[in-house]
Amino acid sequence: MSNVGHALPDSPAIDFAPLIAALLAGDHAAALKETHRLRALGVSPEAIVTEGLEVAMDRLDEKCTIEQFNLLEIMLVGRAVAVVVHELFPEGLQPEKGRATFVIATLEGDVHDLGKNIVRTVLLGKGFRVVDLGRDCPVETLAEAAGREQARAVLVSGLISTVVPQVRRVRPALRRRGLDRVTVVAGGAALKQLSPADLDVDYVAETAFDGARYLENLVTTEGTVR
Amino acid sequence: MPRLTLFVRSERHVIDYEPGQSLRDLLDATDFRVRSACHGLGACGLCRVRLLDGTVGAPTAAELLQIEATDRAAGVRLACQIHPTGDIAVALLDPAPPSEWRTPPPGLVAATLPVTNCDRSRPPGIVNPLGLAVDLGTSHLTLAFHELASGRRLGLRFGRNPQGHHGADVVTRLVAAGEPATARQLAGEVRMAIGTAIADAAQREGFDASRIGRVVIVGNTAMLALLANRNHQRLLQPSMWSAPLDCAPTDTAEWTSDWSIAPVAEVEVIPPLSGFVGSDLLAGLVASDLLAGPAPALFIDFGTNSEIALWTGTALWVTAAAGGPAFETGPGRCGMPAETGAVYRVVFDAAEQPIARILGNDEARGLCGSGLVDLVAGLRRQGVLTPVGRFADGRSAYEFVVGKHTLALDWRDVDALQRAKGAIGAGISVLCTQAGLALRTLRRVVAAGLFGRYLDVENARQIGLLPDVPAEHIELAGNSALTGAVALLLSESARAMLARARATASCVNLAKMANFDTAFLEHLYLRPMSSS
Repeated sequence: MSNVGHALPDSPAIDFAPLIAALLAGDHAAALKETHRLRALGVSPEAIVTEGLEVAMDRLDEKCTIEQFNLLEIMLVGRAVAVVVHELFPEGLQPEKGRATFVIATLEGDVHDLGKNIVRTVLLGKGFRVVDLGRDCPVETLAEAAGREQARAVLVSGLISTVVPQVRRVRPALRRRGLDRVTVVAGGAALKQLSPADLDVDYVAETAFDGARYLENLVTTEGTVR
Repeated sequence: MPRLTLFVRSERHVIDYEPGQSLRDLLDATDFRVRSACHGLGACGLCRVRLLDGTVGAPTAAELLQIEATDRAAGVRLACQIHPTGDIAVALLDPAPPSEWRTPPPGLVAATLPVTNCDRSRPPGIVNPLGLAVDLGTSHLTLAFHELASGRRLGLRFGRNPQGHHGADVVTRLVAAGEPATARQLAGEVRMAIGTAIADAAQREGFDASRIGRVVIVGNTAMLALLANRNHQRLLQPSMWSAPLDCAPTDTAEWTSDWSIAPVAEVEVIPPLSGFVGSDLLAGLVASDLLAGPAPALFIDFGTNSEIALWTGTALWVTAAAGGPAFETGPGRCGMPAETGAVYRVVFDAAEQPIARILGNDEARGLCGSGLVDLVAGLRRQGVLTPVGRFADGRSAYEFVVGKHTLALDWRDVDALQRAKGAIGAGISVLCTQAGLALRTLRRVVAAGLFGRYLDVENARQIGLLPDVPAEHIELAGNSALTGAVALLLSESARAMLARARATASCVNLAKMANFDTAFLEHLYLRPMSSS
């Protein structure tokens, strides 16, 4: 068990390992039970994110490089993470309380959003506030949400290459709203073949974890408060 | 099943077969064909074999005419005249060169006609005109040749869609067709394929292709749009998917000339229902008489893009679920289409060792969809695979020996099957919700498609590929799209049924349904549908 900080009572019962195991097994019922147990012991929602969810996401990252998960396993982990995050923050994280807000979407012309859902899981697991606009999302809707939600970055995914022209329209749409500071990250099978310059984005993520690491570095170097 | 031992040049091959056909027809579905040019009448005398072992009955009149007495004494026979029922061994005396076109695997296309009345008016000016029905699939083309007056079938041909080298899936091909030169190439390739299939059938079955006076083509929307080279780029915009798409050919004179059929031949491309529901589904509904049989009825046409219809008795809901290529081409290490060399059935012996049956060859090259379903269901029963689709002991593949070859079922093969059945299960579940029906109330389930014929219903129910309704409510229809196209070629009542299905159907776009994601996750599990 790693350092849980001064805010927590020094009790041997505070063990995050069962929560981490339940998350990685994709067992949302067990993950929820562990969350209730930790909350009853006085562990703060923020500590459950940093010591439980984030650790689980790092392990998932490691496991994904050594062995591949099938789609169901990844979706089950995603559901378990979403259930725990919803339990900890039933009203959703407010823009001022979350680590940073990201708006994520699969752009118009593409309805394949499994990859996007994995990115959402990892970012939620890392304690970020994620506004998911779903699939087949128009560029204007995305830019509008970035302003409304005070997003630090927008993330767009595309599995098929017809979505490329849409990606190129994201930055101009943000600029028209005065959102020049918003970072644009792209990912997905059709997009990762291209360079950031080709797509007019700041970063092209190789995998969900690669994208999450980039965003984490971005907000950490800026010293964004938790 | 009885065994056929073949000696082809210096090689020996052993094939299991179902009795009922002539040896020529049996061999036509395999890699080892005999020469032939007379539709098996015994008139050309090309299909000579030497019987080495087994009994097949006395020589027919045609054989007495075609084969010299000395040759007959040495066991020479005509493959088209003998109908084996037991184990036999034969040598092919003059094997045909391998053709890209084959007779479809036995049972894939219904042997009986879907209609009894051939009442469509016939194209004028052709004596005893013939008709051609084409099912244009993403991975395969299937063609049926018929006499328009009698409905008599003259032949079937089955082969790969040559566009496959541009990508196994529809989207990759549509994207490639964004380049006008590539679009022309894609259209030309599939048109050429139809032409070579016609030539192959005409030569082999001994008819004159210029007597073909009507062609009916059904297919999924993308394949029809690529064939006509019209409007295919609109299919890349999801907003267009629910709308009708015009893919009627603008000029078929060039087609009839390329195909060497009657210059006056009518070429009918049956219009799709929408961007994601093709006329192959409509033809399947006609073939299975879905709107006239017991209701509620579910129709599933398994393929790369599986199309699903639910008939409540008053309403017809249709949708398409993109399940990936698990049933037709296979993305993992051991998947392959249902072609010769494919393991199509796997049973486990008392020692829990798999025993494989292979299509049209004795050398296994991989597993096709139905073989994959059998193997995965068997490994689930043994506990080798978990309901989540992982190997319980942590290995990444299951290796098994078939004859001289070792096949490996990779976790990716299992994942692909899960994705395909997840999409179909979610599609069925969304349609049932839409219609306000419970799955268990279904009185009829029609499973169509390339692997439908070989599917083991019990295994398919155990892993949740088919609803777990009583087995007597489940029908395996094979290629119902082609059967429906034949009906449309011959009969007015089939055309009336098509018009009714078209007018009644409501398209459901799964991508827009809020409950799809949850249903998809639940149906990814390898377990009966009722547990999801």
